[in-house]
Amino acid sequence: MTFVEETKFQTQDNSLKRFIVPGLILVAVILSFFLVFQSEDTSEFPEFVTDAFTFTAWVNQGEDFLKVTIKEYTRAISAYVKAGYFMLEDFLLDSSWVFVTALLVIPALAFGGIKLATFILLGALYWGMVGLWESAMETLALMGLSVILSVIVGVILGIMCSLSDRFERGMKPVLDTMQVMPAFVYLIPAMFFFGIGGAPAILATMIYSMPPIIRLTNLGIRQVPNETIETATAFGSSRAQTLFKVQIPLALPSIMMGVNQTIMMALALVVLATFIGAQGLGSEIWVAIRKLDVGAALEGGLCVLLMAIMFDRFGKAVSSEHDTLPSDSQRFYILPQTWDIYPIARIIEKPLGYIHFFFTFIFSGIVRIFGFAVSSFISLFNKNYAETIGLFLNNHYFFFTGILILFGISYYDNNVMAIGSFPETWNLSFRDEISAGVKSLTVNPTFISITQGIRSTVVIYLLRPFDMYLTYLPYWYTIAALVILSWASVGLRFAITTALLLAFIGACNIWTEAMITLSSVLISVLLCFLIGVPIGILASYSKRFQKINEVVLDAMQTLPYFCYLVPVLMFFGGGTFSALLATIIYSIPPIIRLTILGLSQVSSTYSEVSTSFGGSTLQTLSKIKFPLAVPSLVMGFNQTVMMAFAMQIVTPLIGGKGLGLEVFNGLARSDTGRALAAGVGICLLAMIIDRISLAWTKKQREALGL
Amino acid sequence: MKNSLFLKSFVALILSSFLVLSAGTAYAKRLTAAVPDWTGGEITCQVAVAILEEELDYKIERIVFPSGTGLWEAIAAGDIDFACESWPSYAEADDVMINMDLVYDGEVVKSYNGDGSINAYTTGIIGMSDYYVPKYFVDANPDFKDWSDLNKFKDQFANAETGSKGKLIGCPVAGWNCHDQKRLDLLGIDFTAVELGTEVAALAEAQGHYDRGEPFLLYLWEPHFFFGKNEMVGVKLPAHKDCESFTEANNWQDCGTAAWPATGWAMDYTMNYMNPDMINSPEHADALAFFKKMKFSNTDQAKMLVRVGDDGLSVEDAVAEWKNSTNEWKAWLP
Repeated sequence: MTFVEETKFQTQDNSLKRFIVPGLILVAVILSFFLVFQSEDTSEFPEFVTDAFTFTAWVNQGEDFLKVTIKEYTRAISAYVKAGYFMLEDFLLDSSWVFVTALLVIPALAFGGIKLATFILLGALYWGMVGLWESAMETLALMGLSVILSVIVGVILGIMCSLSDRFERGMKPVLDTMQVMPAFVYLIPAMFFFGIGGAPAILATMIYSMPPIIRLTNLGIRQVPNETIETATAFGSSRAQTLFKVQIPLALPSIMMGVNQTIMMALALVVLATFIGAQGLGSEIWVAIRKLDVGAALEGGLCVLLMAIMFDRFGKAVSSEHDTLPSDSQRFYILPQTWDIYPIARIIEKPLGYIHFFFTFIFSGIVRIFGFAVSSFISLFNKNYAETIGLFLNNHYFFFTGILILFGISYYDNNVMAIGSFPETWNLSFRDEISAGVKSLTVNPTFISITQGIRSTVVIYLLRPFDMYLTYLPYWYTIAALVILSWASVGLRFAITTALLLAFIGACNIWTEAMITLSSVLISVLLCFLIGVPIGILASYSKRFQKINEVVLDAMQTLPYFCYLVPVLMFFGGGTFSALLATIIYSIPPIIRLTILGLSQVSSTYSEVSTSFGGSTLQTLSKIKFPLAVPSLVMGFNQTVMMAFAMQIVTPLIGGKGLGLEVFNGLARSDTGRALAAGVGICLLAMIIDRISLAWTKKQREALGL
Repeated sequence: MKNSLFLKSFVALILSSFLVLSAGTAYAKRLTAAVPDWTGGEITCQVAVAILEEELDYKIERIVFPSGTGLWEAIAAGDIDFACESWPSYAEADDVMINMDLVYDGEVVKSYNGDGSINAYTTGIIGMSDYYVPKYFVDANPDFKDWSDLNKFKDQFANAETGSKGKLIGCPVAGWNCHDQKRLDLLGIDFTAVELGTEVAALAEAQGHYDRGEPFLLYLWEPHFFFGKNEMVGVKLPAHKDCESFTEANNWQDCGTAAWPATGWAMDYTMNYMNPDMINSPEHADALAFFKKMKFSNTDQAKMLVRVGDDGLSVEDAVAEWKNSTNEWKAWLP
């Protein structure tokens, strides 16, 4: 009896709770609508706060002070970097295209075999064939120098982290901050300290791309087993010897992985650095966007995509170990090795094997002759050295052949016949065709009415009401709502932080802009859900669809984010709607991926049970699979929100508004304080939403017992 | 062994790069220039760049950078050496940073008393900006006389994004300092200025309206290729009058309805502007002489604008075509 009563009480309590929370939310929403209709104009922070809190002026005063005190030093650094950059750029631009291509292809051949080398050859030829060779070289120079510098500084810092626990503890928050900040935010202070052009771009890129190499160097060295170190010490190695002869060589795979990540991050930022005056593919794309030249922008974007894939594959080939084959099996050069069970594949590969053997024979022969000549020359002076050098040359025949070929090309170019710039007749450019196609589509009346219809529907029924709602809602109400939300989901401490951060945004007098940014982010995320979740469900049921999806999503995540402005501009022109659309395209991949992941993670037992109880596919999906996939979906929400925030910084290029536009205006007016306040505002909003949604994911997981 | 091979090849590549570098030709004189963000400016700049590169043996690095005060400061700091075709009534830094007279045809057209961190010389282009409506709109509404009648017709100019207000396709780039919304508010015109981000986006929007025969209000300037294909009529904004206090330093304090920005634009004697240390160094005497003599004409620019804007030529090709067809520019050589 008591038991029954207890359960009854509990259900009552539960139902009460079930009604109280939504009830409160409903009341709050109604109240907010009431407030919105009450207010005459957009809500602004009280003037006595904004007038007293002149963050912008403080930053600008600080800048003026620093300009006098430390600018000479920072300018000296940037002058050195600039000199290095010009040197590398001149080298790449002055060498013939054949030389540069060979420089890229030969290492690829050494590490990745014919397949990778062919890919890299085609990629490099593509740059030339669309007429972007020079820009590609500039991007390559910027990226190359930033990667070299990042690796040097990063490895040193990584080693220091691995040697001292205290240093590591100090570095950790710094590295965390470096990775959380949207990349664009680095560009503002970089411009402020180091000027405009290549040098600040390289330095900003270094900051952005160094964390992985520092982390992975540290990790790699720390993972060397203690026994190995003890053995080394027991054999009488000093600390330095242990470090350089044992720990670092053993950590090399991990370091190489860091280098690979650094390269990818550097490429992403180098393209973005066009906003502070860096040259290269990024500026080609920007100019194309400015001219609404869809074809050219698309070609530039493809060049960047190819470059990213080339370096990614090359880095993976360098850091992955070659699998050793059993001695009796035939080595495959082009086809997948697993196909060696098929006789036809073996017949195809046979001549390739002979060709490979033939070239190996010739080149090792050349190097042997060269090595013999060198060693006999040196043996006139010292026999021991001659032997070691001869041996060294013979062991590295591939490498020296490569060097010989490179010198051969540059000798031919300089002394026999100038190869010159990339032949213009080799033209694969399709920009005119694409632009013409787009043009014919955009004057098509049916197409115009469709796009205009979508545009005005979204603007009238979604964008404008929501913008109005958030901007007209009194600031204290919005702050209170967000603070309560973060209290309920994270905790008291974070609630206080939220209040302070929002107060900062308000006090900087950018409240309206912040609300517009928030509104466009939330609407794009909403639309991402509406579009992404069905695609994810579809993909989780069809393997083939999922495969296509994977490829597309991978490509989407490699492209630098302002490439997404192009297709939108193509069909919808500029404006707030286009900005929204570009945000959706950029930030939809995580939601699709995590829907697929969430649904396919649900163990098949559950769905089997459901089916055996007579549940239809739809019922299984909506009642069993979907609820269990919720944590994964929330995770997707989190990532999508972060990407949507990152996108806000580039959308002003096609008519976006809000904080992103403030950053742009600040940059254009050289008002560092204004740009910084808006940039920080975006970061803070992103941080608050990130924390709330992460906490929510955790709660959902716990509730489901995952 | 594999990794050491990688490291060694890496080092060798760097070393070989030095070798090849020492063999390569070094450019004698190198300057950086900002590429303007409107077609006319791009053409003027390309004219200067083509002459500097082809006749005076320079190598010019062209940097894409939004125009505005940031660009002026970058030039003063020496990050960028020069920029082309600044329109004085758009520039906000000119009074602060230039300390010299602007000379056109031997006459002083404007004198500056700034701190001298920027030097400027006229380009020869004289610009005029206004708000325009299509001619078919004026023909259909004979009682539309000038800007003061805009409110009567604002419903025809409204669209989904502006609501009940009319739409002005405004100055597309924030850094141009057009103060469109401020002007509309001061003059009591119940319109919203829409900022589309780029010149081309604004023009595409305007062309769309024109092709559909809809009324629209467009900010534009002369010389421009848009006028070649489309008949437009200016709305005759009040004549330009300066407002001393309307600067960033004075927190944009306006002078009411009588003066800028509640007026139209002044006639602009456009100028190329540059870093004084660079241009006055003996090394760049040729460049200085060229900038002093340069006198590009509106008619030439207008012709090239049509080639670029309507015929789809690249700016480089249009300038090369002009340079091959005339000897005018030979008079600008030192």
